[in-house]
Amino acid sequence: MHARWILPVLLTLAAQRLLGLPGLPAWAADPLLPAVWIVAAALRSRERPWPLAALLIGLALDIVQEPVVGPGGIAWSAAALALNGLAGVVADRSAKAWAGFGATAGALVTLVHHLAVLPLGLGSSLSAAQVLRTAVFTGAWCGLVGLVFALDLPQRWRTLRARRLR
Amino acid sequence: MVAVSRSLVLRTLLVWAALETAAAWQVRTADGSPLVLSWLRALLEPVSWVAGRGGELAGDVGRGAGDLRRVVVENRLLRLELEALRARDLLLSEDLAAQRELRLLARDSALFSATAIAARCIFRDLPAGTMEVRTATEVQVRRDAPAVTSGGLVGRVVRSEGRRHWLQLITHQAAAAAVQTPDAEVQGLVLGGGGTLSVAYVPRQARLERETVLLSSGGDGIFPPGIPTARVVRIRETSEPFLEIGAVPAADLQSVRVVLLLPEWSRRGG
Repeated sequence: MHARWILPVLLTLAAQRLLGLPGLPAWAADPLLPAVWIVAAALRSRERPWPLAALLIGLALDIVQEPVVGPGGIAWSAAALALNGLAGVVADRSAKAWAGFGATAGALVTLVHHLAVLPLGLGSSLSAAQVLRTAVFTGAWCGLVGLVFALDLPQRWRTLRARRLR
Repeated sequence: MVAVSRSLVLRTLLVWAALETAAAWQVRTADGSPLVLSWLRALLEPVSWVAGRGGELAGDVGRGAGDLRRVVVENRLLRLELEALRARDLLLSEDLAAQRELRLLARDSALFSATAIAARCIFRDLPAGTMEVRTATEVQVRRDAPAVTSGGLVGRVVRSEGRRHWLQLITHQAAAAAVQTPDAEVQGLVLGGGGTLSVAYVPRQARLERETVLLSSGGDGIFPPGIPTARVVRIRETSEPFLEIGAVPAADLQSVRVVLLLPEWSRRGG
Protein backbone atom coordinates (compact mmCIF):
# COMPACT_ATOMS: atom_id res chain seq x y z
CA MET A 1 0.00 0.00 0.00
CA HIS A 2 1.34 3.31 -0.97
CA ALA A 3 1.66 6.02 1.62
CA ARG A 4 -0.71 8.26 -0.26
CA TRP A 5 -3.52 5.83 0.39
CA ILE A 6 -3.10 5.82 4.13
CA LEU A 7 -5.03 9.02 4.73
CA PRO A 8 -8.05 8.02 2.62
CA VAL A 9 -8.12 4.64 4.32
CA LEU A 10 -8.01 6.30 7.70
CA LEU A 11 -10.81 8.56 6.58
CA THR A 12 -12.99 5.61 5.63
CA LEU A 13 -12.21 4.02 8.99
CA ALA A 14 -13.20 7.17 10.77
CA ALA A 15 -16.35 7.37 8.69
CA GLN A 16 -17.14 3.78 9.53
CA ARG A 17 -16.78 4.68 13.18
CA LEU A 18 -18.99 7.70 12.77
CA LEU A 19 -21.71 5.61 11.12
CA GLY A 20 -22.09 3.78 14.38
CA LEU A 21 -22.67 6.86 16.44
CA PRO A 22 -25.83 6.97 18.54
CA GLY A 23 -28.66 8.76 16.86
CA LEU A 24 -27.99 7.51 13.40
CA PRO A 25 -30.27 4.86 11.91
CA ALA A 26 -29.53 1.27 12.83
CA TRP A 27 -28.75 0.34 9.24
CA ALA A 28 -26.21 3.15 8.98
CA ALA A 29 -23.48 0.87 10.33
CA ASP A 30 -24.26 -1.93 7.89
CA PRO A 31 -22.19 -0.79 4.91
CA LEU A 32 -18.52 -1.58 5.21
CA LEU A 33 -16.92 1.53 3.84
CA PRO A 34 -13.31 0.23 3.79
CA ALA A 35 -14.48 -2.56 1.51
CA VAL A 36 -14.01 -0.24 -1.35
CA TRP A 37 -10.25 -0.49 -0.92
CA ILE A 38 -10.10 -4.24 -1.33
CA VAL A 39 -12.55 -4.04 -4.23
CA ALA A 40 -10.39 -1.41 -5.86
CA ALA A 41 -7.28 -3.47 -5.27
CA ALA A 42 -8.94 -6.45 -6.93
CA LEU A 43 -10.42 -4.60 -9.89
CA ARG A 44 -7.78 -2.00 -10.63
CA SER A 45 -4.50 -3.50 -9.55
CA ARG A 46 -2.62 -5.61 -12.06
CA GLU A 47 -0.68 -7.42 -9.39
CA ARG A 48 -2.11 -9.98 -7.07
CA PRO A 49 0.07 -9.75 -3.96
CA TRP A 50 -0.89 -11.25 -0.66
CA PRO A 51 -3.51 -8.82 0.73
CA LEU A 52 -1.49 -7.29 3.52
CA ALA A 53 -3.39 -4.06 3.12
CA ALA A 54 -6.68 -5.84 3.74
CA LEU A 55 -5.18 -7.44 6.80
CA LEU A 56 -4.14 -4.08 8.15
CA ILE A 57 -7.55 -2.62 7.39
CA GLY A 58 -9.22 -5.43 9.26
CA LEU A 59 -6.95 -5.02 12.26
CA ALA A 60 -7.54 -1.30 12.22
CA LEU A 61 -11.29 -1.87 12.17
CA ASP A 62 -10.88 -4.26 15.10
CA ILE A 63 -9.04 -1.55 16.99
CA VAL A 64 -11.70 0.99 16.14
CA GLN A 65 -14.86 -0.94 16.89
CA GLU A 66 -14.31 -4.52 18.02
CA PRO A 67 -13.65 -5.92 21.51
CA VAL A 68 -10.68 -7.99 20.34
CA VAL A 69 -8.07 -7.45 17.66
CA GLY A 70 -7.48 -10.28 15.20
CA PRO A 71 -10.72 -11.64 13.71
CA GLY A 72 -11.04 -8.54 11.53
CA GLY A 73 -7.64 -9.23 10.00
CA ILE A 74 -8.72 -12.74 9.17
CA ALA A 75 -12.05 -11.66 7.71
CA TRP A 76 -10.71 -8.85 5.61
CA SER A 77 -7.72 -10.77 4.28
CA ALA A 78 -10.02 -13.71 3.43
CA ALA A 79 -12.37 -11.38 1.59
CA ALA A 80 -9.46 -9.77 -0.25
CA LEU A 81 -8.13 -13.18 -1.29
CA ALA A 82 -11.57 -14.18 -2.53
CA LEU A 83 -11.94 -10.96 -4.50
CA ASN A 84 -8.49 -11.38 -6.02
CA GLY A 85 -9.48 -14.81 -7.20
CA LEU A 86 -12.82 -13.55 -8.44
CA ALA A 87 -11.15 -10.74 -10.34
CA GLY A 88 -9.12 -13.30 -12.21
CA VAL A 89 -12.25 -14.85 -13.72
CA VAL A 90 -14.47 -11.79 -14.08
CA ALA A 91 -13.49 -9.46 -16.89
CA ASP A 92 -16.10 -6.82 -16.15
CA ARG A 93 -14.71 -3.65 -14.53
CA SER A 94 -17.89 -1.57 -14.71
CA ALA A 95 -19.78 -0.06 -11.82
CA LYS A 96 -21.92 -3.16 -11.68
CA ALA A 97 -18.78 -5.22 -11.13
CA TRP A 98 -17.79 -2.86 -8.35
CA ALA A 99 -21.20 -3.32 -6.78
CA GLY A 100 -21.05 -7.08 -7.09
CA PHE A 101 -17.54 -7.25 -5.68
CA GLY A 102 -18.56 -4.94 -2.88
CA ALA A 103 -21.56 -7.10 -2.01
CA THR A 104 -19.36 -10.17 -2.06
CA ALA A 105 -16.79 -8.46 0.14
CA GLY A 106 -19.46 -7.35 2.60
CA ALA A 107 -20.97 -10.81 2.87
CA LEU A 108 -17.60 -12.51 3.17
CA VAL A 109 -16.25 -10.14 5.77
CA THR A 110 -19.38 -10.52 7.88
CA LEU A 111 -19.44 -14.29 7.62
CA VAL A 112 -15.72 -14.91 8.18
CA HIS A 113 -15.60 -12.41 11.02
CA HIS A 114 -18.45 -14.24 12.68
CA LEU A 115 -16.65 -17.56 12.19
CA ALA A 116 -13.41 -16.15 13.56
CA VAL A 117 -15.16 -14.78 16.64
CA LEU A 118 -17.07 -17.99 17.34
CA PRO A 119 -14.20 -19.85 19.13
CA LEU A 120 -13.58 -16.84 21.34
CA GLY A 121 -16.93 -17.24 23.05
CA LEU A 122 -17.85 -13.59 22.73
CA GLY A 123 -21.49 -14.33 21.97
CA SER A 124 -21.48 -13.08 18.40
CA SER A 125 -24.79 -13.48 16.61
CA LEU A 126 -25.42 -13.46 12.92
CA SER A 127 -28.58 -13.52 10.85
CA ALA A 128 -29.17 -13.88 7.16
CA ALA A 129 -30.88 -10.49 7.12
CA GLN A 130 -27.80 -8.87 8.60
CA VAL A 131 -25.56 -10.50 6.02
CA LEU A 132 -27.94 -9.45 3.28
CA ARG A 133 -28.14 -5.86 4.51
CA THR A 134 -24.39 -5.59 4.79
CA ALA A 135 -23.94 -7.09 1.31
CA VAL A 136 -26.51 -4.77 -0.24
CA PHE A 137 -25.28 -1.58 1.41
CA THR A 138 -21.63 -2.39 0.85
CA GLY A 139 -22.37 -3.30 -2.75
CA ALA A 140 -24.22 -0.04 -3.20
CA TRP A 141 -21.34 1.90 -1.68
CA CYS A 142 -18.75 0.19 -3.85
CA GLY A 143 -21.03 0.53 -6.90
CA LEU A 144 -21.21 4.24 -6.26
CA VAL A 145 -17.47 4.49 -6.10
CA GLY A 146 -17.20 2.40 -9.25
CA LEU A 147 -19.65 4.72 -10.95
CA VAL A 148 -17.50 7.70 -10.01
CA PHE A 149 -14.51 5.94 -11.50
CA ALA A 150 -16.52 5.13 -14.61
CA LEU A 151 -17.62 8.73 -15.01
CA ASP A 152 -13.98 9.80 -14.91
CA LEU A 153 -14.85 13.17 -13.41
CA PRO A 154 -11.36 14.67 -13.69
CA GLN A 155 -11.34 14.05 -17.41
CA ARG A 156 -14.81 15.60 -17.74
CA TRP A 157 -13.67 18.56 -15.66
CA ARG A 158 -10.63 19.08 -17.85
CA THR A 159 -12.79 18.82 -20.96
CA LEU A 160 -15.26 21.31 -19.55
CA ARG A 161 -12.51 23.84 -18.71
CA ALA A 162 -10.93 23.46 -22.11
CA ARG A 163 -14.29 24.18 -23.74
CA ARG A 164 -14.76 27.30 -21.63
CA LEU A 165 -11.29 28.58 -22.44
CA ARG A 166 -12.06 28.36 -26.11
CA MET B 1 -9.00 -18.65 -11.64
CA VAL B 2 -5.80 -17.39 -10.24
CA ALA B 3 -3.47 -20.18 -9.46
CA VAL B 4 -3.03 -20.23 -5.70
CA SER B 5 0.34 -21.50 -4.68
CA ARG B 6 0.73 -23.79 -1.76
CA SER B 7 3.01 -21.37 0.03
CA LEU B 8 0.40 -18.65 -0.22
CA VAL B 9 -2.21 -20.89 1.33
CA LEU B 10 0.12 -21.96 4.10
CA ARG B 11 1.20 -18.39 4.74
CA THR B 12 -2.39 -17.24 4.87
CA LEU B 13 -3.42 -19.99 7.24
CA LEU B 14 -0.43 -19.23 9.44
CA VAL B 15 -1.30 -15.57 9.60
CA TRP B 16 -4.91 -16.35 10.38
CA ALA B 17 -3.90 -18.75 13.11
CA ALA B 18 -1.65 -16.12 14.60
CA LEU B 19 -4.43 -13.55 14.49
CA GLU B 20 -6.92 -15.94 16.08
CA THR B 21 -4.42 -16.77 18.78
CA ALA B 22 -3.80 -13.10 19.40
CA ALA B 23 -7.54 -12.50 19.67
CA ALA B 24 -7.88 -15.43 22.06
CA TRP B 25 -5.08 -13.99 24.18
CA GLN B 26 -7.13 -10.83 24.62
CA VAL B 27 -10.27 -12.66 25.70
CA ARG B 28 -10.44 -13.61 29.37
CA THR B 29 -12.21 -16.61 30.74
CA ALA B 30 -14.32 -16.67 33.87
CA ASP B 31 -11.31 -17.23 36.07
CA GLY B 32 -9.45 -14.30 34.53
CA SER B 33 -6.90 -16.27 32.54
CA PRO B 34 -6.51 -15.74 28.80
CA LEU B 35 -8.72 -17.85 26.60
CA VAL B 36 -5.71 -19.09 24.71
CA LEU B 37 -4.52 -20.81 27.87
CA SER B 38 -7.76 -22.72 28.11
CA TRP B 39 -7.30 -23.65 24.45
CA LEU B 40 -3.83 -24.88 25.28
CA ARG B 41 -5.20 -26.83 28.19
CA ALA B 42 -7.87 -28.28 25.92
CA LEU B 43 -5.19 -29.23 23.42
CA LEU B 44 -2.92 -30.72 26.03
CA GLU B 45 -5.68 -32.51 27.89
CA PRO B 46 -5.87 -35.39 25.37
CA VAL B 47 -2.09 -35.65 25.44
CA SER B 48 -2.04 -35.77 29.22
CA TRP B 49 -4.97 -38.16 29.14
CA VAL B 50 -3.14 -40.40 26.71
CA ALA B 51 0.02 -40.14 28.78
CA GLY B 52 -1.89 -40.99 31.94
CA ARG B 53 -3.62 -43.87 30.26
CA GLY B 54 -0.30 -44.97 28.83
CA GLY B 55 1.19 -44.94 32.31
CA GLU B 56 -1.75 -46.89 33.65
CA LEU B 57 -1.45 -49.29 30.73
CA ALA B 58 2.25 -49.76 31.37
CA GLY B 59 1.50 -50.35 35.04
CA ASP B 60 -1.23 -52.80 34.16
CA VAL B 61 1.06 -54.57 31.73
CA GLY B 62 3.77 -54.72 34.40
CA ARG B 63 1.35 -56.04 36.97
CA GLY B 64 -0.05 -58.46 34.41
CA ALA B 65 3.44 -59.71 33.62
CA GLY B 66 4.14 -60.18 37.33
CA ASP B 67 0.84 -61.94 37.83
CA LEU B 68 1.51 -64.07 34.79
CA ARG B 69 4.91 -65.02 36.13
CA ARG B 70 3.39 -65.92 39.48
CA VAL B 71 0.65 -67.87 37.76
CA VAL B 72 3.20 -69.75 35.68
CA VAL B 73 5.23 -70.61 38.76
CA GLU B 74 2.10 -71.57 40.65
CA ASN B 75 0.93 -73.62 37.71
CA ARG B 76 4.26 -75.41 37.61
CA LEU B 77 4.04 -76.14 41.33
CA LEU B 78 0.48 -77.32 40.92
CA ARG B 79 1.56 -79.59 38.10
CA LEU B 80 4.27 -81.05 40.27
CA GLU B 81 1.81 -81.47 43.09
CA LEU B 82 -0.64 -83.08 40.70
CA GLU B 83 2.01 -85.47 39.48
CA ALA B 84 2.87 -86.31 43.08
CA LEU B 85 -0.79 -86.88 43.86
CA ARG B 86 -1.18 -89.08 40.82
CA ALA B 87 1.86 -91.08 41.84
CA ARG B 88 0.48 -91.32 45.36
CA ASP B 89 -2.87 -92.35 43.93
CA LEU B 90 -1.16 -95.07 41.92
CA LEU B 91 0.67 -96.24 44.99
CA LEU B 92 -2.51 -96.21 47.03
CA SER B 93 -4.34 -98.11 44.29
CA GLU B 94 -1.50 -100.57 44.22
CA ASP B 95 -1.62 -100.88 48.00
CA LEU B 96 -5.36 -101.35 47.89
CA ALA B 97 -5.04 -104.08 45.26
CA ALA B 98 -2.37 -105.71 47.38
CA GLN B 99 -4.64 -105.57 50.40
CA ARG B 100 -7.44 -107.22 48.42
CA GLU B 101 -5.06 -109.86 47.20
CA LEU B 102 -3.85 -110.47 50.71
CA ARG B 103 -7.42 -110.79 51.93
CA LEU B 104 -8.15 -113.34 49.21
CA LEU B 105 -4.98 -115.13 50.13
CA ALA B 106 -5.95 -115.20 53.80
CA ARG B 107 -9.42 -116.42 52.96
CA ASP B 108 -8.57 -119.06 50.40
CA SER B 109 -5.18 -120.36 51.41
CA ALA B 110 -5.15 -123.16 53.95
CA LEU B 111 -1.51 -122.36 54.56
CA PHE B 112 -2.28 -118.94 56.00
CA SER B 113 -1.45 -119.34 59.63
CA ALA B 114 0.04 -117.40 62.48
CA THR B 115 3.53 -118.29 61.34
CA ALA B 116 2.98 -117.26 57.74
CA ILE B 117 4.48 -113.94 56.74
CA ALA B 118 2.82 -111.70 54.17
CA ALA B 119 5.25 -109.87 51.95
CA ARG B 120 4.78 -107.28 49.30
CA CYS B 121 6.33 -107.81 45.89
CA ILE B 122 8.41 -104.78 44.98
CA PHE B 123 10.46 -106.11 42.09
CA ARG B 124 10.51 -109.15 39.84
CA ASP B 125 12.55 -110.19 36.87
CA LEU B 126 10.55 -112.90 35.16
CA PRO B 127 13.11 -113.85 32.48
CA ALA B 128 15.72 -114.22 35.18
CA GLY B 129 13.24 -115.91 37.49
CA THR B 130 13.85 -113.74 40.55
CA MET B 131 11.64 -111.61 42.73
CA GLU B 132 12.22 -109.24 45.62
CA VAL B 133 9.57 -108.97 48.30
CA ARG B 134 9.40 -106.80 51.37
CA THR B 135 7.79 -107.56 54.71
CA ALA B 136 6.18 -105.02 57.01
CA THR B 137 8.73 -105.64 59.76
CA GLU B 138 12.24 -106.91 59.88
CA VAL B 139 12.17 -110.65 60.02
CA GLN B 140 14.68 -113.33 59.24
CA VAL B 141 13.21 -115.89 56.89
CA ARG B 142 15.07 -119.12 56.56
CA ARG B 143 16.49 -120.08 53.21
CA ASP B 144 14.27 -122.33 51.03
CA ALA B 145 11.13 -121.17 52.79
CA PRO B 146 8.26 -121.58 50.29
CA ALA B 147 6.50 -118.58 48.85
CA VAL B 148 2.93 -118.96 47.70
CA THR B 149 0.14 -116.76 46.51
CA SER B 150 -3.60 -117.19 46.07
CA GLY B 151 -3.00 -118.53 42.57
CA GLY B 152 -0.42 -121.10 43.54
CA LEU B 153 3.24 -121.70 44.12
CA VAL B 154 5.61 -118.78 43.53
CA GLY B 155 9.04 -120.01 44.52
CA ARG B 156 11.38 -120.20 47.48
CA VAL B 157 13.44 -117.79 49.53
CA VAL B 158 17.10 -117.68 48.59
CA ARG B 159 18.14 -114.69 50.66
CA SER B 160 16.67 -112.73 53.56
CA GLU B 161 17.92 -109.47 54.96
CA GLY B 162 15.86 -107.29 57.25
CA ARG B 163 12.66 -106.42 55.49
CA ARG B 164 13.95 -107.42 52.09
CA HIS B 165 13.75 -110.99 50.85
CA TRP B 166 14.77 -112.45 47.50
CA LEU B 167 12.89 -115.31 45.93
CA GLN B 168 13.84 -117.84 43.32
CA LEU B 169 10.72 -118.28 41.18
CA ILE B 170 9.67 -121.66 39.99
CA THR B 171 10.45 -120.45 36.48
CA HIS B 172 14.12 -119.98 37.39
CA GLN B 173 16.51 -122.05 35.30
CA ALA B 174 17.67 -123.92 38.40
CA ALA B 175 14.25 -124.29 40.04
CA ALA B 176 12.49 -127.58 40.41
CA ALA B 177 9.37 -128.71 42.21
CA ALA B 178 7.82 -132.12 42.63
CA VAL B 179 4.26 -132.18 41.32
CA GLN B 180 1.44 -134.56 40.76
CA THR B 181 -1.99 -134.59 39.30
CA PRO B 182 -4.86 -133.90 41.69
CA ASP B 183 -5.67 -137.59 41.76
CA ALA B 184 -1.99 -138.33 42.48
CA GLU B 185 -1.83 -140.89 39.64
CA VAL B 186 0.76 -139.02 37.64
CA GLN B 187 3.82 -137.54 39.22
CA GLY B 188 6.62 -135.52 37.77
CA LEU B 189 9.10 -132.77 38.28
CA VAL B 190 8.45 -129.18 37.22
CA LEU B 191 11.58 -127.54 35.94
CA GLY B 192 12.07 -123.86 35.35
CA GLY B 193 12.98 -122.69 31.88
CA GLY B 194 13.39 -118.95 32.07
CA GLY B 195 9.76 -117.88 31.97
CA THR B 196 8.23 -121.22 31.00
CA LEU B 197 8.02 -124.53 32.71
CA SER B 198 8.51 -128.09 31.66
CA VAL B 199 7.34 -131.20 33.41
CA ALA B 200 9.87 -133.99 33.41
CA TYR B 201 9.81 -137.65 34.22
CA VAL B 202 6.21 -138.29 33.26
CA PRO B 203 5.97 -141.74 31.68
CA ARG B 204 4.64 -142.06 28.17
CA GLN B 205 1.75 -144.19 29.28
CA ALA B 206 0.59 -141.62 31.84
CA ARG B 207 -2.90 -140.25 31.30
CA LEU B 208 -2.44 -136.53 31.23
CA GLU B 209 -4.40 -133.87 29.43
CA ARG B 210 -3.81 -130.29 28.62
CA GLU B 211 -5.08 -127.65 31.08
CA THR B 212 -4.49 -130.08 33.90
CA VAL B 213 -3.32 -128.23 36.97
CA LEU B 214 -0.45 -129.97 38.67
CA LEU B 215 -0.19 -129.65 42.41
CA SER B 216 2.92 -129.74 44.46
CA SER B 217 3.43 -133.19 45.91
CA GLY B 218 5.88 -132.27 48.67
CA GLY B 219 8.28 -134.88 47.44
CA ASP B 220 11.05 -132.32 47.00
CA GLY B 221 11.10 -131.55 50.69
CA ILE B 222 10.85 -127.80 50.00
CA PHE B 223 7.32 -127.01 48.95
CA PRO B 224 4.26 -128.10 50.89
CA PRO B 225 1.93 -130.50 49.08
CA GLY B 226 -1.36 -129.56 47.48
CA ILE B 227 -0.36 -126.17 46.13
CA PRO B 228 -1.24 -125.50 42.49
CA THR B 229 2.10 -125.25 40.76
CA ALA B 230 1.76 -125.55 37.02
CA ARG B 231 -0.88 -125.83 34.31
CA VAL B 232 -0.16 -128.15 31.40
CA VAL B 233 -0.30 -126.39 28.05
CA ARG B 234 1.52 -128.79 25.73
CA ILE B 235 2.04 -132.58 25.70
CA ARG B 236 4.18 -134.31 23.14
CA GLU B 237 5.33 -137.85 22.75
CA THR B 238 8.89 -138.43 21.64
CA SER B 239 11.19 -141.37 21.25
CA GLU B 240 12.24 -140.87 24.83
CA PRO B 241 10.55 -142.90 27.55
CA PHE B 242 9.02 -139.75 29.06
CA LEU B 243 6.51 -137.30 27.69
CA GLU B 244 7.66 -133.84 26.70
CA ILE B 245 5.28 -131.57 28.62
CA GLY B 246 5.16 -127.81 28.56
CA ALA B 247 3.43 -125.85 31.34
CA VAL B 248 2.95 -122.39 32.74
CA PRO B 249 2.95 -121.36 36.39
CA ALA B 250 -0.43 -121.72 38.07
CA ALA B 251 0.11 -118.39 39.80
CA ASP B 252 0.13 -115.24 37.72
CA LEU B 253 3.68 -114.19 38.38
CA GLN B 254 3.31 -111.10 36.26
CA SER B 255 0.68 -109.44 38.42
CA VAL B 256 1.32 -110.96 41.81
CA ARG B 257 1.50 -108.28 44.50
CA VAL B 258 1.45 -110.18 47.73
CA VAL B 259 3.09 -113.48 48.58
CA LEU B 260 2.94 -115.59 51.64
CA LEU B 261 6.23 -116.78 53.06
CA LEU B 262 6.04 -120.01 55.00
CA PRO B 263 9.25 -120.15 57.06
CA GLU B 264 7.88 -122.61 59.60
CA TRP B 265 6.73 -125.23 57.13
CA SER B 266 8.78 -128.37 56.94
CA ARG B 267 8.11 -131.75 55.60
CA ARG B 268 8.20 -133.23 58.95
CA GLY B 269 6.21 -130.52 60.68
CA GLY B 270 3.70 -130.34 57.82
